Amino acid sequence: MASTTTTISSVSTASVRTAAERVPWYVWCAVFGVTSAMIGGQWDISWHRSIGRDTFWTPAHIAIYMCGVLAGLSCGYLILATTFGNLSQLRGTSVKMWGFEAPLGAFIAAWGGVAMLASAPFDDWWHSAYGLDVKILSPPHVLLILGNLAVNTGTLILILGMMNRARASFRSRLEWLFLYVGGVVLVGLMLMIMEFSWHSLMHNGIYYRVVCMVVPLVLAGVARASEKRWAATTVTAVYWLFWAGMGWILPLFPAEPKLGPVYHQVTQFVPPEFPMLLFIPALALDLLWSRTRDWNLWKRSAVSGLVFLALLIAVQWPFSSFLQLPAARNWVFHTNIFDYNAHRAWMHYVFTKPDAPLDFLRELCLAAAAAIVTVRLGFAWGDWMRRVRR
Amino acid sequence: MFRSSVLFLLAAASAFAHVGSPDVFYDGQAGPYRLLVTIRTPSVIPGVAEIEVRSAANDVQTVHIVPTPLLSEKSQNSGEATFAPVPDLALRSKDDPQFFTGSLWMMTSGSWQVHVTAEGPQGKGDLSVPVPALSSSTKKMQAPIGVMLAALGLLLVAGAVSIVGAGVREGQLEPGLAPDAARVRRARWVMAATAVFVLTLAALGGLWWKSEAGDYDKHIYKPLQMSATFENSGENAGRLMLHLTDPGWARWRKVDDLVPDHNHLMHLYMISLPEMDKVWHLHPDRVDAGVFAKDLPNMPAGRYALYGDIVHADGLPETLVSEITLPAVAGKPLEGDDAMGAGPPISQADPNNTTAQLADGSRMIWEREPGPLHAKRAMFFRFRLEDADGKPAHDMELYMGMPGHAAFVRADRSVFAHVHPSGSVPMASLSLTQNAGDGGAAMAGMAGMAGMDHSGMGMTHALPPEVSFPYGFPKPGDYRIYVQVKRGGRVETGIFDARVEK
Repeated sequence: MASTTTTISSVSTASVRTAAERVPWYVWCAVFGVTSAMIGGQWDISWHRSIGRDTFWTPAHIAIYMCGVLAGLSCGYLILATTFGNLSQLRGTSVKMWGFEAPLGAFIAAWGGVAMLASAPFDDWWHSAYGLDVKILSPPHVLLILGNLAVNTGTLILILGMMNRARASFRSRLEWLFLYVGGVVLVGLMLMIMEFSWHSLMHNGIYYRVVCMVVPLVLAGVARASEKRWAATTVTAVYWLFWAGMGWILPLFPAEPKLGPVYHQVTQFVPPEFPMLLFIPALALDLLWSRTRDWNLWKRSAVSGLVFLALLIAVQWPFSSFLQLPAARNWVFHTNIFDYNAHRAWMHYVFTKPDAPLDFLRELCLAAAAAIVTVRLGFAWGDWMRRVRR
Repeated sequence: MFRSSVLFLLAAASAFAHVGSPDVFYDGQAGPYRLLVTIRTPSVIPGVAEIEVRSAANDVQTVHIVPTPLLSEKSQNSGEATFAPVPDLALRSKDDPQFFTGSLWMMTSGSWQVHVTAEGPQGKGDLSVPVPALSSSTKKMQAPIGVMLAALGLLLVAGAVSIVGAGVREGQLEPGLAPDAARVRRARWVMAATAVFVLTLAALGGLWWKSEAGDYDKHIYKPLQMSATFENSGENAGRLMLHLTDPGWARWRKVDDLVPDHNHLMHLYMISLPEMDKVWHLHPDRVDAGVFAKDLPNMPAGRYALYGDIVHADGLPETLVSEITLPAVAGKPLEGDDAMGAGPPISQADPNNTTAQLADGSRMIWEREPGPLHAKRAMFFRFRLEDADGKPAHDMELYMGMPGHAAFVRADRSVFAHVHPSGSVPMASLSLTQNAGDGGAAMAGMAGMAGMDHSGMGMTHALPPEVSFPYGFPKPGDYRIYVQVKRGGRVETGIFDARVEK
């Protein structure tokens, strides 16, 4: 009798565990959404550099807004089902807002979805009022990007809540998903700073300052929250593989400019620039962080920020020089492919006018300060994320 | 030297290539096909222009359209070549197989051309239509979209504050536990700080928006300003002086880069106010950079509206607007291409009258189709000249190289358009287009010019007693149409009135 009870009990526990240890569909849905926006964003930028003009209904736009729709649907379902319906068992691991209950990440992602969808009529009006700009940074585009970042962050925290409650084996699986979404967050931020990170700017201080304002935050935050040994390297690898992959795939498809003036004949989708080799400074940070666990956080941030900047310069300065050489004008580095509206001057493979020495020094000091502060902020964000339970 | 009281300077807010009439109309030959092309320019640049193409006969199967800058990059910018984008296939109307429509993006302000290629059983034919692409206004936000965006904005601000509060209050609690009072209190403080932060961000976003809108305002087209003075004593007594000044808009536009259009740098219409019953079509001479002068003919004392049509070297046409009050002018006789016409006062306008009685007893008749006139509709305005005895006029001549000139002026003067039988396109701009590079193919392709001997422009040839002008009224209202043709060495002016409905 006793043995029978034990058997039934163990079967029951096993099936519950199996169900609880499966990544739920709404998480996959959110992960699919953020991936869709990541591809759509890159595709849309390429569209504007190759074809030039578009409509609201281009596949690239649909891929971007799909993120908002999927986040809205999956997180909307999660919120309603947790509050009123068949996911009420999640209430114990939920937060409350406006009478609704759901995991914190669901609310953040749903907010992002609303922001993304709100940006669509705003952008449409903006274009009708101020012209069909093709800038990345305009107020409605920033709302779209903020919304997308919120969906990415919401997805990250949705995974995190489960991850921080999970047992070792399931946690490990969730950590990979967490690092992947961390990579997606990094890609989103790199798209945002694209106008400051052309390789022709990599001998100017502003490039280093802007990168230091963005990248260390993600690396430090995600690495500290995940506690994986090679977390920062993994995040940058996701960025690098995606960015390089898009660079290799997009030119395989034909495209023709439909906007004048056309200064350069384009026959294929223009790829993004070759990705930065961020995995090298990230690798150094992973190694540093594994050896300095007992350091004071500010000291750790200072050393991490300086190491990041030093390695970024050591890698990107010569690498951008290489990208100007004939050896890079091939399908791997694709520096031989130009936007349809690229002026001839851009095609001379020259760097932007160098900074005056003092200006350059000032920019590097600001970059170092930015890197130190963003690492520290990243640590604080990571610490907060480590404690997220819901 | 005494100068008479001067006058007002009217900065016409939406004036370019005519005043308040931005749409471009062109009637021309694309190889074997006669096409009427209407280009509705966008009010913001970059923006989308709507293109309408109507073939005169049902012999066109496809129409392709593509926009390019009017001058090649070579002449604009240090030797760079410009390639044409891929042409768009215009959509053929299902109900009207002679009517094609399309949309084209125009990305930069300035002088553009739309290249139209028609194909049919007789092969392929091309024509190019010059278009000024200029931002004319900033669109205000409509109330419904404003309310919707404000509501979404509030939702997002409130949502962000509440999410942060929920995160601080419960995000790090072990499952099943309720937040204690300290957490609740802390969450409130963080929410307050977040509200300040988010509202600050929103305010900064608002400042950014304002700054972007301010930058955009700088791109809104500002026509050259024209001030008019009258010399009523001294050696230049009786002379009208026109001073052109640049209010600052685009660096590439100059006050002194003008090219002749029909052999004149400026075509000046002077219309008597308020009755608009007398019109002078004069051609001031350039006397200095941005300064024009004209010895006026006899003119009664009064107020006059001035419209000066000019064309810049890059093909950009402008209509400069001013106003002047003159004393009675005992001036010189009209000479050269200068002309004068008179009609009934506008206060006695009869929009149903289609006959203008001319001074020598002959008549100009508007062959108007029955029914009301509608705004935004491209159509041909046909006028026939007959002698006093009712016979068709037989001594028609070209007037400045054209079978006729027409000015469409709205009664409130918010619209002024100087139109030719080939349309609203200045000939000087047309001569710069893509298919004008081979010795004036574009000019030869103009409707009304085909089949004529141009060897002695302005000389007597066997011209028909009819002239037609393609045009569309930009908005409803009362309009006055001044039509000028030349016959037997004299320029005749017929004045007509039109009431235009929506």
